[in-house]
Amino acid sequence: MTTVNPDLRRSAPAGLDLPQPLADPRRRAALPPARVLADIGLVTQRNLRKVLRNPRLIVFSTIQPFMQLLLFAFVFSSVATVGPGLGYKQFVVPAVLVQTMTFAAMGSGIGIANDLHMGMIDRFRSLPIARSAFLVGRTASDSLRLGIQACLLVAAALAIGFRFQTGVPAALGMLVVVVMFGIALSSFSAWIGLAVRDPETVQAAVFIPILPLVFTSSAFAPISRLPGWMQPVAKASPVTAAIDTARGLALGDDVLVRLSGVHLHTAAWHFALWWIAIVGISTALAVRRYRLG
Amino acid sequence: MHGTDGIDADEGVVAEGLVKRFGDFTALDGVDFHVAPGTVVGLLGPNGAGKTTTIRILTTLLRPDGGRARVAGFDVVRDARVVRACIGLTGQFAAVDDDLTGRENLVLVGRLGRLPKAAAAARAERLLDTFQLRDAADRALRTYSGGMRRRLDLAASLMVAPAVLFLDEPTTGLDPRSRLDLWDVIGELRASGTTIVLTTQYLEEADRLADRISVIDGGRIIAEGTADDLKARVGGSVVAVTLADRHDAAGAAAALAATFGLPVGDVSTDPDLGVVSVPVPEGGEALVAAVRALDTARITPADLVLRRPSLDDVFLALTGHHAADRRPEQPAPVRARTMA
Repeated sequence: MTTVNPDLRRSAPAGLDLPQPLADPRRRAALPPARVLADIGLVTQRNLRKVLRNPRLIVFSTIQPFMQLLLFAFVFSSVATVGPGLGYKQFVVPAVLVQTMTFAAMGSGIGIANDLHMGMIDRFRSLPIARSAFLVGRTASDSLRLGIQACLLVAAALAIGFRFQTGVPAALGMLVVVVMFGIALSSFSAWIGLAVRDPETVQAAVFIPILPLVFTSSAFAPISRLPGWMQPVAKASPVTAAIDTARGLALGDDVLVRLSGVHLHTAAWHFALWWIAIVGISTALAVRRYRLG
Repeated sequence: MHGTDGIDADEGVVAEGLVKRFGDFTALDGVDFHVAPGTVVGLLGPNGAGKTTTIRILTTLLRPDGGRARVAGFDVVRDARVVRACIGLTGQFAAVDDDLTGRENLVLVGRLGRLPKAAAAARAERLLDTFQLRDAADRALRTYSGGMRRRLDLAASLMVAPAVLFLDEPTTGLDPRSRLDLWDVIGELRASGTTIVLTTQYLEEADRLADRISVIDGGRIIAEGTADDLKARVGGSVVAVTLADRHDAAGAAAALAATFGLPVGDVSTDPDLGVVSVPVPEGGEALVAAVRALDTARITPADLVLRRPSLDDVFLALTGHHAADRRPEQPAPVRARTMA
């Protein structure tokens, strides 16, 4: 093109106002710990902004378990019994909390798949930031998001008559266990997001392995009431380990022993081992995927 | 300017023998690529030729399987993070965040690029003005038009004033006016001393912006020079004939080849569309000669034009095949990225 319509030319930006390139790239590429933390903080802040501007997902994953809570508390509680001295509502609240984390954790994989899809990961990887900032920032913002959702649901449970039977420290401990479970699933979901790269596929790929795990666990009925073939599966399940630990903390060790035949410390050990395994393997796979680009 | 290890930090881009394979597919088969500091080099080629893979290696997003490359004087593998401190990248798919506002996007990239908070904010304000995005600064990017997004993407790449700027198909999908605006910006960046690597599918764009052009095909650089050098290889102009009856394509090709003294292989035919294109010398006589040749052969054209060489003509002249012919044989860049 040799001639340009003068009317079109007039709209061009006049006179770029640009300073010289920043000096000393080696210094700017250095990564002291304070800078790594700052990078993680920036990525976390960016993720949280996205959550606030996309309330659909957080509403979906909070309303849905809240409805479930109402169903269990007011409909099932009249027919479902789990033993003398314990209402079904008391029994099921920790399970609904843990199940909620499975919904919420899906958001991690969807967010990562979106970042890949939109080219945001390429943007981050082309900047001189800590490589870990992307995945650690994702975990940090997800933990906060999961924590807020768990607190909202606990408040709802208290409003409809759920009561902790153990005191404040144990109740807080239960919240921590629930959120920790969510973080483990988030790390799994993050790896799935990096591997399948498509937000729609992430939902199916996270749900298909996790949902059956929730049903074949101590979530909605004591293991002794499950079909015989299912009982060994349920006893070994990471979901059972998380729910039993949460129940032991919310309802007391004696109640847990009556329901599941295990002590709180045993359930807690199972949960800790499962947590380390899930987080360790998922993170290793996710980091490998992220490095490969 | 000299780095701490005595390397000339202003040395532009030097790539030697870059090789990249994705499984059985060799995306890059020994790419040599040089960009002198302060110049604009256009990297041209069809889809799947290796443009995007080359850019991804030079911007440290992908590790080469062979060869080496230095950007702004630093090795893209060994000193990858230092390279990242020297470059800006505007991707084919605008790498900006839909949920953040224009200002938030700029500040985020600036701060991750090591600008202090106040400097990043000040810098963002200047770029919002420069790119005429002031009115849209506090709107989420999902409300931006395609042209605005591209401007913001470019502004984000300029937050740290890179020594070397990579623009991967910066105007693809833009309306003519946005394209002209962006061309002006790129011209000004060049004038301010920024080294620029530009990929494009449009010869016209490279013609207008680039000091030199490298043509890539099948994972190799097959030609290098100024736009005039490349056009000289094609010949002055092209006569393109759309036939009334597409079955006449072979006959028309033979007649035109004989008239202009070319081997039939140099005439490009599209039997499906009934279009025959032949490189001809500059000037209107060629058009007259083409009409006579078709008349003698009793072939009726539906449309007959004399035009300047297109990228496709350059490709045909350089490689003996159309740019588009290669697409079915080679995976699209999207697939290459998935496999990466």
